Amino acid sequence: MEIFEQLFNALPGSISQGLIWGIMAIGVYITYRILDIADLTVDGSFATGGAVAVMLILNGCNLWLAMLAAFIAGILAGAVTGLLHTFMGIPPILAGILTQLSLYSINLKIMGKANQSVNVNQTDLLISLRWVKEFAFHNPLITVAIVLVILIAILYWFFGTEMGCAIRATGSNLNMSRAQGINTDFNKVLGIMLSNGLVAFSGAFLAQYQGFADVKMGQGSIVIGLAAVIIGEALLGKIFKNFALKLLSVAFGSIIYYIVIQTVITLGLDANLLKLLSAIIVAVFLAIPHWKRKYSEKYMRKSKGGKVNA
Amino acid sequence: MKKVVSLMLALVLCLGSCFALTSCTSNKSDEKYQIGICQLVEHVALDAATDGFMQAIIDELGEDAVEFDVQNGQGDPATCSTIANQFVSNNVDLIMANATPALQSVAAATGDIPILGTSVTEYGVALNLKDFNGTVGGNISGTSDLAPLDKQAAMIIEWVPDAKTVGLLYCSKEANSQYQVEVVKKELENKGLIAKLYPFTDSNDLAQICTAAADNCDVIYVPTDNTVADNTGIIDNICEPKKVPVIAGEEGICAVCGIATLSISYYDLGYTTGMMAVRILRDGADISTMPIEYADKQTPKYNKQNCEALGITPLEGYIAIDEN
Repeated sequence: MEIFEQLFNALPGSISQGLIWGIMAIGVYITYRILDIADLTVDGSFATGGAVAVMLILNGCNLWLAMLAAFIAGILAGAVTGLLHTFMGIPPILAGILTQLSLYSINLKIMGKANQSVNVNQTDLLISLRWVKEFAFHNPLITVAIVLVILIAILYWFFGTEMGCAIRATGSNLNMSRAQGINTDFNKVLGIMLSNGLVAFSGAFLAQYQGFADVKMGQGSIVIGLAAVIIGEALLGKIFKNFALKLLSVAFGSIIYYIVIQTVITLGLDANLLKLLSAIIVAVFLAIPHWKRKYSEKYMRKSKGGKVNA
Repeated sequence: MKKVVSLMLALVLCLGSCFALTSCTSNKSDEKYQIGICQLVEHVALDAATDGFMQAIIDELGEDAVEFDVQNGQGDPATCSTIANQFVSNNVDLIMANATPALQSVAAATGDIPILGTSVTEYGVALNLKDFNGTVGGNISGTSDLAPLDKQAAMIIEWVPDAKTVGLLYCSKEANSQYQVEVVKKELENKGLIAKLYPFTDSNDLAQICTAAADNCDVIYVPTDNTVADNTGIIDNICEPKKVPVIAGEEGICAVCGIATLSISYYDLGYTTGMMAVRILRDGADISTMPIEYADKQTPKYNKQNCEALGITPLEGYIAIDEN
């Protein structure tokens, strides 16, 4: 019982962390699901967002302006990957890895060192882990949830416009889109830019939430983003058909991911197994839709007593 | 379908009632002190500090009086935040944060629960304090693993008197290391030597950077760097054939690839931190007035095997590192 109580008390923290990563996961969703590109830039642009925001905040910049700057920095990082891929013909995974690698140096230059603290006692911040149980606007749970809803609304609108539709078309059928006169290269770059902008925006939130930006903070973030996308789809994919709801399910996936991690820590399982556990979570949730399909095919065969129509 | 809906409902319910439960967290066993330990990564030095911390508290308060919750962030700063969240929501009596990102995460999580840091080199840098004078104030204090850098710079000159160029090898991911090499660089330049920085990214490019350093410098200095500590073998394999001596900031590194070090014991450092915790928990000391404490003794040590290989006679006053 005590475990449940501990878990319950820790819930606001893990949900806010999940919400912050949810923004990042939506960025991953745009490249991975909409554009059908595995973009590894995010491991770098996540930290870039944090670094840019923290440095600006320390220099007395307006908080929301710092967030915007982080978003723009992410967009620029995405543009580099996009151009490496389209203009220079480098395969997307490699282009992402190259940008991610170069962002490591750039992040070091932005901060001047590997780790820049932004102390909640000395600096005004939008959100902090400190305020996770206060019923106020600076509670990360409330702020990030509101921002997330606004972002989803904007993205829903954007992907309904001609430009957004073109990005979606590019992702679903490259050749057909080109035949329809869509500039697919341009749309790929645009999609990757948007995705990395969101990732950097999320990094800016996380840096404030945890009180520092670190060059290591983006390491492995692509796995968390993918996990969120996949968990969200596996659990809610059946009922969430609308595009906005699909984005919401990604955020839910991210929250669930962090609740699982928190549970592992609360139960006192060997923390050395944490990475293995993350990999298992992703693998299991990737397998669920596959198993479901297999099962339903079998079921259909049985019920119809014959071949399934192809 | 029903399951999914109920799951979502449960989530929303949880979200809503989180706020209601904020103040009802003190349901823990009252006789025992609850101490949360957040350690950044599994590592010889950090492990020793955690052991020393727990031993000090057990020695003073007895084994039955405390309950430790030891958590390891696996080198991932974001995991430290999750751990910090856990400790704060369990409302532990005291949190020990082992290494800089652990301290930063915990400091972001609470302004009330006493926090003791250890293995943190510079609290002013770690917490971005403008006028840091040795006392952090608020709910934070702790111990620093800063070995006296001026003494270390002097040591380089003592051991390799005819050196002109010193290579400072460190991992660019570690803010602590960067701070140390910058201070040492200044000290060396004041003494008329040329000091060059050789930052590397990770174990993959360490070999190339280390080779460049060994080719261009007469002696190499490495600070208390966690990445170097994990890859001492690489440095030894490069520097020994080239006959370039390595001065290390810490005994663990020196034992493999160095010739000499001014060693601080992380176990003692942890023990000192543990004694601070006892003063806070048992004696009711006010953490906001407690200054940062340092390792009180440094032991000059040398690596016998490496000195022999390089034909260097150990200086007096240095003792050999135990060979295992």
